[in-house]
Amino acid sequence: MSESVISVSELTRRFGATTALASVSLSMPRGAVYGLVGANGAGKTTLIKHLLGLLRAESGSVRVFGLDPVADPVGVLSRIGYLSEENDLPGWMRVDELLRYSRAFYPAWDDAYAEQLRHAFALHPTAKIKNLSRGQRAQAGLLIALAHRPELLVLDEPSSGLDPIVRRDILGAVIRTIADEGRTVLFSSHLLGEVEQVADHVTMIHQGKIVLSAPLDDIKESHRVDGRVPSLDEIFIARVGMPAAPASEA
Amino acid sequence: MRSPALAIAWEFRRRHLWVLIALAGYLLVLAAIKVLIHGPWQPVTLDPPDGRVGVAMVPLSTTFFYFLAVFSFGLAGDLGARQSIYPARMFALPVTTKALAGWPMLYGAATMTSLWLGTALFARWPWGMHLPLIWPALLAVVFLAWTQALTWMPYGLPGLRVIVTVLWLATLDAAVLLALHSKVPEAVLLAVLAPQLPLAYAAACFAVARARCGDVPDWRGMFARPAGNAVLTRWRDRFPSPARAQAWFEWRRHGRSLPALVGLLLPFELALLWLAKDAPAFVFEILFLVLITPPFVAAFTGWTGSKPHPNVSDSYGVPPFSATRPLTSAELIGAKLKMAMWSTLAAWGLVFVTTPLALAWSGAWPVLIERAQRMNDAIGTPRAVVFVLLILAGFIVSTWKQLVQSLHIVLTGRPWLIKGSVLLTLTFLILLGPIVEWIIDSPSVQGALWNALPLILAGLVGLKMSAAAWIATRLERSRLLGDRALVAGAACWCVAVLALYGVLVWFFSTPFVARYVLALIAILAVPLARLSAAPLALAWNRHR
Repeated sequence: MSESVISVSELTRRFGATTALASVSLSMPRGAVYGLVGANGAGKTTLIKHLLGLLRAESGSVRVFGLDPVADPVGVLSRIGYLSEENDLPGWMRVDELLRYSRAFYPAWDDAYAEQLRHAFALHPTAKIKNLSRGQRAQAGLLIALAHRPELLVLDEPSSGLDPIVRRDILGAVIRTIADEGRTVLFSSHLLGEVEQVADHVTMIHQGKIVLSAPLDDIKESHRVDGRVPSLDEIFIARVGMPAAPASEA
Repeated sequence: MRSPALAIAWEFRRRHLWVLIALAGYLLVLAAIKVLIHGPWQPVTLDPPDGRVGVAMVPLSTTFFYFLAVFSFGLAGDLGARQSIYPARMFALPVTTKALAGWPMLYGAATMTSLWLGTALFARWPWGMHLPLIWPALLAVVFLAWTQALTWMPYGLPGLRVIVTVLWLATLDAAVLLALHSKVPEAVLLAVLAPQLPLAYAAACFAVARARCGDVPDWRGMFARPAGNAVLTRWRDRFPSPARAQAWFEWRRHGRSLPALVGLLLPFELALLWLAKDAPAFVFEILFLVLITPPFVAAFTGWTGSKPHPNVSDSYGVPPFSATRPLTSAELIGAKLKMAMWSTLAAWGLVFVTTPLALAWSGAWPVLIERAQRMNDAIGTPRAVVFVLLILAGFIVSTWKQLVQSLHIVLTGRPWLIKGSVLLTLTFLILLGPIVEWIIDSPSVQGALWNALPLILAGLVGLKMSAAAWIATRLERSRLLGDRALVAGAACWCVAVLALYGVLVWFFSTPFVARYVLALIAILAVPLARLSAAPLALAWNRHR
């Protein structure tokens, strides 16, 4: 493995009396798919927001590509593709305007790839974002996160927006392609089954603390019981004492 | 909660009760001050106007407009959209459409009636003013009912809602003013206003029914570009730089509000020229009204950036989509400043095109020419030209300033700071009337103020420069702006101050005003501290 794309050291964050992150340390080398898993409210989004520079480290340090994302937002953000959990694309924009606007920020924007993704997601160029379905909005967000071929793709709970077919077929394929090209993917989810399908490395987070961070194969091997390899869900329950997702979602 | 009606009432009460409590508390304090200082039976008059009335009128008027927005769901809805602003989540409630329209109308009517009755009773005691009870209350209720019906209606074009609602309410207002001017008996006024309530209710039911079944007309096709390649052309267009793309984003997001609102108001204002062409004083009052419109509207639209984003978890914060643009906070501010400039120019373009046309067509042009001639004779052509240009430039710069001067508050994303600032502004407006009246009534105060003017100006300049120095230090330390940008900004500011000072010295060449006073005025007039603080505010919000 080469140098770290993400390096977090002793990161602590509090919101009032709540400790969202407690002395989190993490290092993610280039060229792999990292699954950040945990129940809702575990601290996944808070950690991702620190990586994007949307939250300032109260204590500890955060480096992405060796840069401080708060001090150098342009240097960091121009190399990241980000799909927000909040799905907050401007509703007044049309799909073609969104692409035209987003393209201006990324010199490496690939028009042919953007067009290919737009066709794959069946997004009409003149459709307004606010008139798209929730899943289509997430697809539009994924499109602009991917079209500049970012060095690091950050997907915050993509499962909450994308429909099952897109999640299984397209997202899985995209993530594998990116990893095969030597780029890095970090995606958070509370649906461990999905993480299990694509992640090379899994980090479990619970109540702001990292409870386990290791390559997926190593995790499974170390939790083998009587020759049977448990699922990631079972390992999570064994570690944390509760499932990451409610039974209805899992 | 035992019924849907109670649940809907609870939602209004839960979110907005504090406004009523704050207003009641404010009026109680005001009543106590009035009783203790002026005595309970000393009357306050509207004619001639008494500055103290403003102390009560400003918060009451503000509350009226606030309730107009609350009960029409305008605080959360998108007024410019074609879709109804009635909250879509309520369409799924197991209640009839009549109930969905009727309950908010009923609660709104009760609140507006209470607001007016409270105002009238408060005016009666301890202020000693006798205001009519019934027709103003009914007018407020009718006003609200039409606002609800017209804003809940789905429309075929974006922005049509605002135009229809403003036109209808302005017509209603004008009709009532005309009736009052003609001294129409109250019974006639009531007979005209009362039947509008069932009409508005029927319109509201129709609007909610259409919105509930997703029946939104689409007339955009009528205005579509005939060339089929337009979309393709746009699609291929590239922004030359990220800064340009961001400026376009800001223009589309906020920039069009000012010219649109100015364009909406101008026809009404300029139409008055046809009534006033034979009264020179009135013509100039109308022209002043036209010139003051862009900065006045800009003072409100400048705060639109603080409108919460309902779809994100931190509604006052920078939405992740904007926060993750690979631009520095200073570049994001630069785009906002550029948008403000375009917005100002577009609004003034409208004024400069329509006003001469209206003057010419209405026959009021000779009145203006005659006055210009007189000014020319009195102060000479160069001074007259500079005077007019200075006035116009002052209004234009003031419009831009109004748009950008609240950025340092709005962009912090802290609700307590934004709401506190609004409260302070309102308090200032409330106190302005009595203070101005006190100054006008007291020659000794005027004399003291005149003597202390240089000291006051010097104090304000000291405050401004200290704040600017502190902000510059913070900008430099946080690396939000590089050294070159800081030096270039400071140099531009100095040039602007010197230019303004030069014009002032040339124009006011009188021994009555010392040059250092003009220098102090020039320093205060050119924006510096608040504008420089905007990148800091955004960075504080963007990197929490």
